[in-house]
Amino acid sequence: MRLELADIEKSFGEKRVLKGVSFTADGGKAFGLLGRNGAGKTTSIRILMNVFPADGGEIRIDGIPIDYRKIRFGYLPEERGLYPKKPVIDQLVYFAELKGMNRTDAIKAVDYWLKRLEMSEYRGKRLDTLSKGNQQKIQLVTALAHDPEIVILDEPFSGLDPVNAMLLKNVVKEQITRGKIVLFSSHQMNYIEEFCDSIGIIHDGKVAICGDLRDIKRDYPRDRLVVAAQNPEPIRADFGDACTVCEDGALLIRLDCPDRKQEVMKRLVERYDVDEIKVFEPSLNDIFIEYTGEQR
Amino acid sequence: MKQFSKILKFELKNYCKNKIFIGVTLFLVIAIAVLMFIPNLAAFFSSEEAQPSEGTPASVMLVCAEDAELAALVQSSFAAAFPDYEVKLAAGGAEDAKAQIVSGEAECAFVMDTAASYTYYVNNLSMYDTNCTVADTVLQEVYRTTAMVASGMTPEQAGEILSVQVESRTEALGKDQMENFFYTYIMIFALYMVILLYGQMVATNVATEKSSRAMELLITSANPTAMMFGKVLASCIAGLIQLTAVFGSAVLFYQINRSAWGDNEIIASIFNIPLPLFIFLLVFFVLGFLIYAFLYGAIGSTASKLEDINTSVMPITFLFIIAFMVVVLSMTSGNTDSILIKVCSYIPFTSPMAMFTRICMSTVPWYEIAVSIAILIGSTVGIGILSAKIYRVGVLLYGTPPKPAAILKAVWKA
Repeated sequence: MRLELADIEKSFGEKRVLKGVSFTADGGKAFGLLGRNGAGKTTSIRILMNVFPADGGEIRIDGIPIDYRKIRFGYLPEERGLYPKKPVIDQLVYFAELKGMNRTDAIKAVDYWLKRLEMSEYRGKRLDTLSKGNQQKIQLVTALAHDPEIVILDEPFSGLDPVNAMLLKNVVKEQITRGKIVLFSSHQMNYIEEFCDSIGIIHDGKVAICGDLRDIKRDYPRDRLVVAAQNPEPIRADFGDACTVCEDGALLIRLDCPDRKQEVMKRLVERYDVDEIKVFEPSLNDIFIEYTGEQR
Repeated sequence: MKQFSKILKFELKNYCKNKIFIGVTLFLVIAIAVLMFIPNLAAFFSSEEAQPSEGTPASVMLVCAEDAELAALVQSSFAAAFPDYEVKLAAGGAEDAKAQIVSGEAECAFVMDTAASYTYYVNNLSMYDTNCTVADTVLQEVYRTTAMVASGMTPEQAGEILSVQVESRTEALGKDQMENFFYTYIMIFALYMVILLYGQMVATNVATEKSSRAMELLITSANPTAMMFGKVLASCIAGLIQLTAVFGSAVLFYQINRSAWGDNEIIASIFNIPLPLFIFLLVFFVLGFLIYAFLYGAIGSTASKLEDINTSVMPITFLFIIAFMVVVLSMTSGNTDSILIKVCSYIPFTSPMAMFTRICMSTVPWYEIAVSIAILIGSTVGIGILSAKIYRVGVLLYGTPPKPAAILKAVWKA
């Protein structure tokens, strides 16, 4: 299954929030939807889920305009919240029923997920008696119980301890292997790098960059070297302004002429006591800042 | 449709599990029960109290006049007219009478200037003191009889003339306002209370979902129209259940205490509401309830915080109170055919109360009723759909509540 958003436009009053957002997400893979606060991620998600219509553009499943009666969405909103005063089981079954399940199946599915997330003991408890992390796991059940084709997770790991994060990772991986489209929105870049094969960065209502994460990294200009040395001072003196120090103490050397990379590496090895030299590959964090920072 | 029934069931269950809802219903049922048992209880207590009161001496009422004959005449007439008093002549004149009252020996005194003029002395004038009214009637009769006898009639003839009774019969060919007044009033008042109470509940319910952010999930799980109609109809059914419990228990307890209430016409008229009127009552009640509940729900969706609800719903509450005032004022003035109430009986927001009042207290042609109900049904559905749209736009707006014009603009675009 392939989900395509093509040229989605949306304005609220005078404000143009989305200025032609397009991206493609494939089944069996996770897609990372990134962007700074207020960039238009939530609006894109809401339009995708038919909360309100787009002013222009089209959403397609396998090339055909989406039919909301056939495609089920599972959604974990960034703003978490259920009914605090109601028992866990009542509201989970209610939400599963709203998504089209019959009561018996809904109870069965909810019980399966509660067990899977180690939450069965809280089945009859009121939601507001649970800790924040546990409430988050309950909320996750509302996104998964009805076995949706498209799963949208907005900041799924915030507030989870490492054990619960591990549990959630396994659940997400399982959803991916089952061929679902998983849309992942987070500011925790390490999780995105861990799960997502492709990403789209929304900036100022437009997609700044979109595609396979490895390709994006590969296409990044290979014009910097990372050099680790016991005594970096002579190297810094040698390269002057072209050399900066990274957070971990390694040196980052910008090359005026990337084609002559080999020559520079050779020179470094011959002249100095160097532990490691490699071509700099940007992290997702670097890419994100590059595409969404103020200078753009 | 499936979603609608799920929402309806869920919301209704919430009402039925709500402790305040159950508490208020129980309280009302108990209050009604106590009210209905009052005649029995009163009879029970008065029968216990009656015995000791017989032994206590009667209060003293003094009569004095310069004319001894007048004094004797007044004393004998008053003795018959005031069986609760021991009527005595005050030998020492007005000053003696006043002194006796102040010292507590006597309760009150009538000091006669002439046969048709007196001063009434009493220590503390009670709000419920009717002695003067009774005395006026008695003295008038004494004066007339004396005058008639003086002009040559026998006391018997005079008595016959004065005691003549006029016989009359009244038949209302249309509606008897007196008979219908009380249940109309009670029903209008019940409608008023229930709409205000439940309207507020619907608004709060929506705003709670919004402020707890459950809305983020709801709005992506269910159709807003199904949400709005499910919520509002659930509150309507809950309201009807509560009213049925309260009025049902009232009827039940009335039947139990029927003999004790005897021929209290007010109470009897309330319980003898004719079936067609009852059906009209139900129709107007349900439609009136729905139209306001939709508005309250829509308003609730535009408030971000629960605290904002009270100010946000103010315009609707005012609209409703004005409608109520117009109807009640027309009712109490007895003029239920004025242009104002006629116009009101076609405007959807006032017609549930206005038209029901007109049907109860005046004669309304069937086509007027049909037109009024048709307008009301049409506008209820219209308001329902509009409020679902406002809901869809409103629930995702956080921050300060938007202005009505801004909401309508957004709804128009959506």
